[in-house]
Amino acid sequence: MNTLRWFGNVLASSIGRKAVMALTGLLLVGFLIAHLAGNLTLFADVEGAAFNAYAGKLLDLGPLLYVAEVGLVLLFGIHIYLAIRLTLDNREARRTGYVIRNDRGAKTLGSASMPVTGVLILGYTILHLFDFRFDESFEEDGALLVRNTLSQPLHGVIYVIAAGVVGLHVSHGFQSAFQSLGWNHPRYMPLVKQISIGLAALLAAGFAALPLYFLFTGGAQS
Amino acid sequence: MSDHNEAMRITLKVWRQDGADDAGRMETYHLGDVSAHMSFLEMLDVLNEQLTATGQEPVAFDHDCREGICGSCALMIDGQAHGPQPGTTVCQLHMRHYSDGDTIHVEPWRANAFPVLKDLVVDRTAFDRIQAAGGYISVNTGSPPDANAIPVSTGEANSAMDAASCIACGACVAACPNASAMLYVGARVAHLGQLPQGAPERQRRALRMLAQADQEGFGACSNVYECEAACPKDISVENIAFLNREYLKASFSARE
Amino acid sequence: MSPKTTDPMLDSKAPSGPIAERWNKHRFDMKLVNPANKRKFHVLVVGTGLAGASAAASLAELGYRVSSFCIQDSPRRAHSIAAQGGINAAKNYQNDGDSVYRLFYDTVKGGDYRARESNVYRLAEVANNIIDQCVAQGVPFAREYGGVLSNRSFGGAQVSRTFYARGQTGQQLLLGAYGAMMRQVGAGKIKLYTRREMIDLVKVDDVARGIVTRHAVTGELERFAGDAVLLCTGGYGNVFYLSTNAKASNVTAAWRAHKRGAFFANPCFTQIHPTCIPVSGEYQSKLTLMSESLRNDGRVWVPRKKRDERRPADIPEDERDYYLERRYPSFGNLVPRDVASRAAKERCDAGYGVGETGLAVFLDFRDAIQREGEDTIRARYGNLFQMYEKITGDDPYSTPMRIYPAVHYTMGGLWVDYNLESTVPGLFVLGEANFSDHGANRLGASALMQGLADGYFVVPYTVGQHFASRQLAPVTVEHEAFAEAEAASAERVQRLLSIGGRRSVESFHRELGGIMWNYVGMARNEAGLKTAIESIRGLRAEFWQNLRMPGTATGLNASLHHALRVADFLEFGELMALDALERPESCGGHFREESQTPEGEALRDDENFAHVAAWEFQGVGERPTRHVEPLEFEEVLLTQRSYK
Ligand SMILES: Cc1cc2nc3c(=O)[nH]c(=O)nc-3n(C[C@H](O)[C@H](O)[C@H](O)COP(=O)(O)OP(=O)(O)OC[C@H]3O[C@@H](n4cnc5c(N)ncnc54)[C@H](O)[C@@H]3O)c2cc1C
Ligand code: HEM
Ligand code: HEM
Ligand code: SF4
Ligand code: F3S
Ligand code: FES
Repeated sequence: MNTLRWFGNVLASSIGRKAVMALTGLLLVGFLIAHLAGNLTLFADVEGAAFNAYAGKLLDLGPLLYVAEVGLVLLFGIHIYLAIRLTLDNREARRTGYVIRNDRGAKTLGSASMPVTGVLILGYTILHLFDFRFDESFEEDGALLVRNTLSQPLHGVIYVIAAGVVGLHVSHGFQSAFQSLGWNHPRYMPLVKQISIGLAALLAAGFAALPLYFLFTGGAQS
Repeated sequence: MSDHNEAMRITLKVWRQDGADDAGRMETYHLGDVSAHMSFLEMLDVLNEQLTATGQEPVAFDHDCREGICGSCALMIDGQAHGPQPGTTVCQLHMRHYSDGDTIHVEPWRANAFPVLKDLVVDRTAFDRIQAAGGYISVNTGSPPDANAIPVSTGEANSAMDAASCIACGACVAACPNASAMLYVGARVAHLGQLPQGAPERQRRALRMLAQADQEGFGACSNVYECEAACPKDISVENIAFLNREYLKASFSARE
Repeated sequence: MSPKTTDPMLDSKAPSGPIAERWNKHRFDMKLVNPANKRKFHVLVVGTGLAGASAAASLAELGYRVSSFCIQDSPRRAHSIAAQGGINAAKNYQNDGDSVYRLFYDTVKGGDYRARESNVYRLAEVANNIIDQCVAQGVPFAREYGGVLSNRSFGGAQVSRTFYARGQTGQQLLLGAYGAMMRQVGAGKIKLYTRREMIDLVKVDDVARGIVTRHAVTGELERFAGDAVLLCTGGYGNVFYLSTNAKASNVTAAWRAHKRGAFFANPCFTQIHPTCIPVSGEYQSKLTLMSESLRNDGRVWVPRKKRDERRPADIPEDERDYYLERRYPSFGNLVPRDVASRAAKERCDAGYGVGETGLAVFLDFRDAIQREGEDTIRARYGNLFQMYEKITGDDPYSTPMRIYPAVHYTMGGLWVDYNLESTVPGLFVLGEANFSDHGANRLGASALMQGLADGYFVVPYTVGQHFASRQLAPVTVEHEAFAEAEAASAERVQRLLSIGGRRSVESFHRELGGIMWNYVGMARNEAGLKTAIESIRGLRAEFWQNLRMPGTATGLNASLHHALRVADFLEFGELMALDALERPESCGGHFREESQTPEGEALRDDENFAHVAAWEFQGVGERPTRHVEPLEFEEVLLTQRSYK
């Protein structure tokens, strides 16, 4: 009981919430890295054998996959719930705004747009799940489904944009999570910031690579 | 940058609000004879003399030491807390950074936790309540050991001093998109928490000061770092990380 | 001879016996308040600077109920926050021969023998405890690599006894005291009343029992009753309009107490600090101090040619007059403040001043930078140089600073006895607001020490003596004395608002400042002082006829607060000039041109003036009564100061 109350208190505090956001965010980044690695197997052979093998391994996990998926849903859920709470509370902390507002350049595109990129990611993810996760044909030939989906211009473009949006979110999010968890040391923080940018660029480029490839090659099995 | 001996014409757009209940509005004033040597507040003095002479009410603004240390002065100038010069309070901002013909917007700090009292004057007593919740080392007068009994490394002393130079002006809150007071709270927690003298109370201090800051209605920190850029005393956001670390550690292990 | 008979009104209550044992003995002799009874007593502490914050915290820790008042929106903004240089204590950590006795000796001598020996000794004695206390509170004093505290020599002292926290010592000490105070606020032991200005003292049965304040935001007059009142309201340097004091610094609290019977001691003793940034124009609203420590490395000079317009770097060595080094070969640039200030004034009056106004001298770091390298100088003074550049736009690394003396500190203040109690029983005065420890000149880094000594280590005992030895009937704010004081205050506010004249309060204050600076400033003479008195009277009369007051009595009206203060300065300024007139000797910061050595140095008259002058109020425009407390020097031999 006590432990629950304690956890509730932490979650009710501004720093506690941020810490949970940071942890879920970092785990989501971890998922993205793994996901990207899996996706890139599509480049390994055009037939998609490697990719299907990878997908098949995942599917073979059976119930374990469900457990992982529930975990993933929780991560997303908690992250999104807290993001909304924080964003609304933070808006509420300044009901009357300024007539003129100029920042001093510390704000970045990434940091200023976290709520926006977050919502975009959410919207994209839903679309994305319908594309793949809830499409029966995935189990037959995942690679084919992906190819077909991404070579549709509308989808392809959305995926490319989404990749950029994810990159933007992570460019601030990754280093921000370190700060939120209290891991800021003058010696390492500049490095963390560089890694954050690098990782963001990698994720953006990686996730954009497939749709771009399919867009330009028309998904044809050349 | 203006020529030193020219008199400048400056247009001021100033937030006027009769009291806490008034809606408030921007008003425009013209000054014809502003010297580059003047401080920004001296220019407001001139404006106020002009207003008084014409039977209008002077603009209310907080100020006291006029040398950048008391933390009283608090103006949003053209959308920047304390104006355009880095590491500078409004009272130390001089008109030589402006040119003839400039228009300058002057507004109060904006945050729910800092309600406007009149014109440019806001209520910052929330800061004091945060300190009363735990911003101290509990040591009664007369009880301490010799000052040299506990050595403190120069590194710790310097870094504590960096944090301790906060003047409680509130510019961090004003500049933060979330009206968060984390830089202010972090500065005090990091100042006292880094010193051996402050160590016994570190957990209690972090827990209580943060709880009070949250209760006052300041926003949470989303690591935008505008506070650090606006801070006239260059307080680093490392102090926010220190606070986060301290608070999280305390949350997990405090036996309160 | 000074009158040796003690004025019955001015019993210093200083104990006798060996000087080193007086405070101990006195503490033992004082009555104690039973711990259980302490919470029955309510102490009103006005002011939250070093003196007020330390007193409020310490009294609350002891169990008294405390109410604390300040003008600013937060107690931490009291002007103590602005002190840069440091705080003295005779810890002798540097093993350079310092001792409590030496600190005591230096302070009496530095004060030009116009302070009470017993008080000064106690100050030196408790100073060590202050450092311990502050370190325990988390004051981040400068440290050596080994982790021990670092010291510097300050203000020409021959030993290194000054503790410092970069150039922000006052801020850090105040944050320590503020923290201690806020802890008691959090515990409910101190009630905090910010944005309140005390505008009257209330006496019941001749004992100080309360105050009337005005709320700066609502304009409301409020009454507070208590069993003792502590004035910790700082100095009155703003009577000069331009000074290094904060804008809200005032004499009102002290002056109102004076009008209610507290004697004002040595009001003419003012310290003019030699190294301030010069006035740049008539809009100037305050002056900024550049720390005295700059004189450790900077050399002061003026051109040998009058109104030399060349860039300082173009003026060759043999055309520069390093006048301090020339006049005072052994102390050179490190002569005490009063000496350095007068020497600068002398050069500028003679036409050698520099800058647009001719009222400035150079403080040059060229040689120090050549000798030690720019990095060393930056490490020492970086923040000061930066502050100078912010204000003036000049870079002191490449061109000398321009400096000029400015009013900085007021040694005079309400008269207090050894218990820090004024001539009004139950009214205690602490810190810069009292007159007690610095005589006619204050040494650098001693005001912070005194404020904290008074608040942490003196008044907590002596207030107890007041409670334990007097029968204090319960008093509430319904008492007619409160009604009378509040009505008088309301009437004063109304009067100010109804004058309907043409001149702003700012312009009156500025003009008063001009009179004070010209005639009651760095050098004073009989004719000038008489002129000053006449001019102040004239200005006061005009003020009450020709003041233009915007706004109303309710709501935030900064001009009204300013007017209330200026009204008091206009009465007080006259007393200052009168005090200067009636002390025809020179001593410390008080330089009477009639009393100087053939070389132009201050000449004391110990025969006739080795005493404290304490003035009793008799009515506005009436001649106050000058009481005298003779000073006896049993320990420190009276000698003429010499820095040649
Ligand atoms: C620029 C500067 C630098 C200095 N540097 C040094 C230094 O290096 N070393 C040193 O020893 N000394 C220094 N001094 C002197 C020293 O700082 C002061 O003498 C000392 O701090 C005064 O402390 P205090 O507590 O008596 O008063 P203050 O700190 O002035 O506090 C006065 C308090 O009284 C309150 N108050 C005043 N009037 C009223 C009223 N009417 N009603 C209600 N409240 C009122 C104010 O709000 C404030 O809280 C310096 C002074 C200045 C100006
Ligand atoms: C794969 C998806 C996502 C990843 C990898 C991710 C990652 C992160 C990370 C690492 C942070 C930094 C946390 C911190 O500073 O402590 C963060 C913050 C944030 N995220 Fe996400 N996130 C994802 C999805 C989302 C979604 C779907 C939303 C919203 C609908 C969202 C909204 C936010 C917001 C608003 C913040 C800033 C919160 C603040 O600092 O106050 N994120 N994210
Ligand atoms: C080119 C880019 C991408 C491709 C080709 C791709 C491909 C896929 C495929 C094929 C699946 C289905 C797996 C299954 O049904 O088990 C899937 C699931 C998923 N993808 Fe992506 N994806 C891409 C980008 C992204 C991005 C940028 C995100 C981040 C927001 C993301 C988040 C997810 C999630 C949350 C799932 C569900 C996982 C599960 O249920 O196991 N994907 N993706
Ligand atoms: S942290 Fe900086 S901006 Fe914030 S209150 Fe302190 S000094 Fe002002
Ligand atoms: S700007 Fe605000 S979001 Fe945090 S880093 Fe500073 S408090
Ligand atoms: S007025 Fe004191 S910091 Fe600006």
